[in-house]
Order: sequence, then C-alpha cells, then structure tokens
Amino acid sequence: MTPGLVVIGELRDGRPTEASREAAGVAYQLAAGAPVTGLLFGSPEDSLTSSWARDGISEVCFLPPPTDAARQAGALIPGVLSVLSERSAELVLLPSTTFGRELAGGLAARWDAGAATGVTAIHRGAAGWEVRRPVFGGRATETRSLSGPRAVVALRPRAFPAPEPRDLPGASTQRSMPEVGAVAKGPTLVGTEPVLTGEGPALGDATIVVAGGRGVRSADQFHLIEELAAALDAAVGASRAVTDAGWRPTSLQVGQTGRTVTPQLYIAVGISGAIQHIVGMIGSRVIVAINSDASAPIFKVADYGIVGDLFQIVPALLAEIRRVRGR
Amino acid sequence: MEIAVCVKPVPDPETRLRPGPDQRTLDVEGVKFVLAGYDESAVEQALLLRDQLPGSTVRALAYGPAPRTPEVLRSCLALGCDSVTHLEASAPVDDPMAVAAALAHVLASRPADLVLVGKQALDDEEGLVAPALGALLERPSFSSVTDLRWNPERSRFTFQRSTDTEIERWEAPVPLVIGLQQAWNDPRTAKLPNILKARRQPIDTVPAATIEAAVAGRNGRSLPLKFELPAPRAGARMIDYSTPAEAAERLVRLLREEAKVFP
Repeated sequence: MTPGLVVIGELRDGRPTEASREAAGVAYQLAAGAPVTGLLFGSPEDSLTSSWARDGISEVCFLPPPTDAARQAGALIPGVLSVLSERSAELVLLPSTTFGRELAGGLAARWDAGAATGVTAIHRGAAGWEVRRPVFGGRATETRSLSGPRAVVALRPRAFPAPEPRDLPGASTQRSMPEVGAVAKGPTLVGTEPVLTGEGPALGDATIVVAGGRGVRSADQFHLIEELAAALDAAVGASRAVTDAGWRPTSLQVGQTGRTVTPQLYIAVGISGAIQHIVGMIGSRVIVAINSDASAPIFKVADYGIVGDLFQIVPALLAEIRRVRGR
Repeated sequence: MEIAVCVKPVPDPETRLRPGPDQRTLDVEGVKFVLAGYDESAVEQALLLRDQLPGSTVRALAYGPAPRTPEVLRSCLALGCDSVTHLEASAPVDDPMAVAAALAHVLASRPADLVLVGKQALDDEEGLVAPALGALLERPSFSSVTDLRWNPERSRFTFQRSTDTEIERWEAPVPLVIGLQQAWNDPRTAKLPNILKARRQPIDTVPAATIEAAVAGRNGRSLPLKFELPAPRAGARMIDYSTPAEAAERLVRLLREEAKVFP
C-alpha cells in the first residue's frame, strides 16, 4: 500500500508560501505517483491554490483558519489529526518555519511520530525515512533515521528547489473539514506588528538576503543596505551590532541570538563575521562579503569577497544591478 | 509561582567538532558539556522572574547520562536555581521526542506553573521539545518567545512571539510552556562561592528504569546514523578592481554567470 503523504502548508496573502511549494515538490517526488494531500488553514474562497496543485498536490483540504486566540500550534492539532487518520498518513511534510516547527513538535507528540526539523534532504531508507539536517549552526551535518510507522518532517526553506510547474490535472477537490476539538482557553493575542518595515520578502523566506553590520556606522546610513536589498528583491538582515545599537529592530538580526537564514545568496556588507553571526547564515548557498578589512573572518566563509569602502562599493553595485536588471 | 526550566547538556560552544569512532555522532572524547545557548537564557529568565515574584521557586530538570547531566545541573544550582532533578539515562539521549516524553512524565507528577525551555538546543537545533511538552502536558505552548514578563494586576504573563512575518504580542495565564528565544538580560555567570556551594547541594534523581518504562510505549523514533563535517570552504575569491564600478561589474557577472544566483 502506498503511504499516505500529507503536506501542511502556510498561506500568505491567500497563496501557499514558497516554502510550502517546496514541500509540495518534495512530497510529489517521494510519493512516486501516489496522491499527495495538501492541508491548509484557510478557506477555499479566499485562497489561490492552483500553483500548489501544479507543484504536485492532488487534493487540498482546508481546516478553518485559526482565530486569533488559536494562533498556537496546539489548537490546530486535533483538526490535523483527523485529516491524518482519514488519509492513513505515514508522513507529514511541512515548512521548518516558526509555525511549522511548533506544529511539528506538538503534532509528533500527539501522533506518536518520529520528528525532525530544519531538514535539507529526505529519502526512504532501509529502516524508515532518512533525513539530513545541519547541526551546530551549520558547522556539521547529521543524518537521522526516523523509524516507526509515522514521521513528521519540517523542511528548511530554500534548501529544496522551487518545484517545476508540472502538467498535472490539478487538485481534483477542495474541501473544508469540520472544525475538530476545542480551542485552548487562556492565551489571547493582544496585537501584532509586521517584522519588516520595507516592502521586501520575509527574512526567513527570502531567496536573497542583504545584511548590514557595524561597518554601516549609523541608523541613517543603513538605508544603503535597504536600497541594495530592494534592487535585488531581497530581504534585509542585520548583525547583532546593528540591532544592539538600535539602528534596526532585533527582528532583522541574523545569528545565534537571532534568525538562521538559508537563502540562495547572502550578501554581508560591513559585517566582520563573528561566529555569533556566521552560525545564522553559513547555510546560505552563495555568500558575498564586502568589508574594508581584508583580514575580517567573514572572508573565510564567503565565496566572493570585495575589500573596500562599502560607501563606495555599494552605490556602484546598486548602479550596476539597476543597469543589468533594466530598472 | 513554581517555575520549571528544562535544560540539555551540550558540547561547549568552543568544541572542535569531529565524528566519533562509529561516525554516527559527534566524538565526545574530552568534550566538556555545558549549559549554553537558549537554555542559558531560559535559566536566566527563570531566575529573573523568581526574583520579581516573591515566594517563587525555580527547579531545573535535565535528562541524560552521568557525568555530563549532573554537572550541568550543578551549574544551574550555582547560578541560583532552588532545586534540580536529574532524569537518569544509561546512554546519551538522541531523540528529542523521547526527551519531551521523559520530561512530561516527570512534570506531570509535580506540575509547574511555568515550564521554560530554550527554543532549541545549541547542538541539534531541533526546537521540538517545547511544543511537544505543550502537547503532552495539554498546555498552551509558544516558541521563539522574547520579553516574557509577569503582569501582577492581570495575573498573566505577557510576551512576544516572532513568526517569520510578524511579532505577536500575547497575554496568557499559567499553566504555560514557553520556548524562550531571549531573556531580558545576557545570562549571568556563577560566582565562585556559589559554584563551591553547589558541589554540596543535593540533586534529586529519577532512575533510568522509571523513565524508560514511562516512554517505552512510544513508536516514533529518531536515531542518528551519520555525523559529517562540511568540506572546508576554500575562502572567498577576492575580486580585483581599480574602481568601485569595476568591482561591481565583476561581482554581478560572477553572480550571474558562475554562481547563477542573480535574480
């Protein structure tokens, strides 16, 4: 019998996120022709899931979107469990984001499953699913076997390619599941504020990240980093020196005490490369460093380096990027 | 308020990493295990809250083999935790869901109002224990939490949770499970007299057999198969240039044609 494969996605502006699409592509390959169920929290009326269907999802199930008080993984688990049981699911894939990791831990506990997060490769091994994942801040990689009848695997955003659009019939059905289980009482969401001030993509979900450090010298001059990011449709990141100085909010901090990012391209501007910062970005595919100090440790982990004054290099880079991109 | 803080002994952050003889896990020969990373912040936050709330106690728990686990619990005592509980294990515990099950078993028999956990361990970086504890103890659980404060007028905690797009502000009564990202302060360091005193303080123990019996019914397992170091990066290819415009032009060409990452 083919294993029931379920992908839990996240919606942003009514569409599955890039990381959710990557998970769908991985599931399609693992399923080898068997149907893949997609699970979203939302309503079919407000969501555009045709892209997800082309990525390999054969049927999309909608659970009711979490109310404010239920924006916690625990409140969503009963509904997820009902879908998993109906599909005789053996493997759940989901994005390794804040939401996905919380859901993975809670779900694995209640579903009696093996679990792994931050996964960058998965295949079926002799004794179960074998997953690879960076550990120790990307300084090493481990392979784990998830044995037992069920597994929950959270996939690191950007570690898998965006799926090729396939000529698939598309999701045959979209249906809403009944709400199952009571909402955990007590916690209340008092308010939210967006993490980013600019227009760019979310830091954890971006293909390109442009990050600035102490070398940028002031809050005002940090606009240069934001301009460079905008020219590349990139997310803005910062080193701890920047957020500690209050030039930018801590939500932009990349590193041990901030976020771990794994974009295709990471451009570090005026960042010396303390280990604190390195562990948050070492998983990036290509790293560019721009720094005035040729002995800065950032050049040891970078693929391309420019030694120079960032206040000269970045404006030149901006001009060149705009010229090449024709805008 | 009774505060429980769950910690994990992890290799000292300065440890030189290399695969062990069986290639499955880190070589722990000569490695010093310590309290570090988010767990250190969780202990700091627990102590700060205790000092703010008279009559509170902080109990640290850890699951793992001796000597590393009792050593780390002693450092929790030296930092100021009121009591510590060692969940004994005959071998290193490599499965985060087994850790959560063991901790949940012990916490169920002596519930805490607030369970604090580092949002992820410094070594395996799974981040599964806090949400799993929430599910097993049937309590609300939040990870990636900062700015955790007690509001005495409303008898509730307030805190922030960072998602990938938003910072959420929450209020929640106890009982509660929190995966902490950052304490108010940088973690304190233990003073020498307290380190010496901690050597004589008792460590509560739960025998390995009790823990194993409690978690024996689990089916899902996660086992390490291989531990590898990445091929060393060669170091950056430095771009020669005579003008900033030339540097920019060369970098963009390399990103487009060689690395193929230019949008």
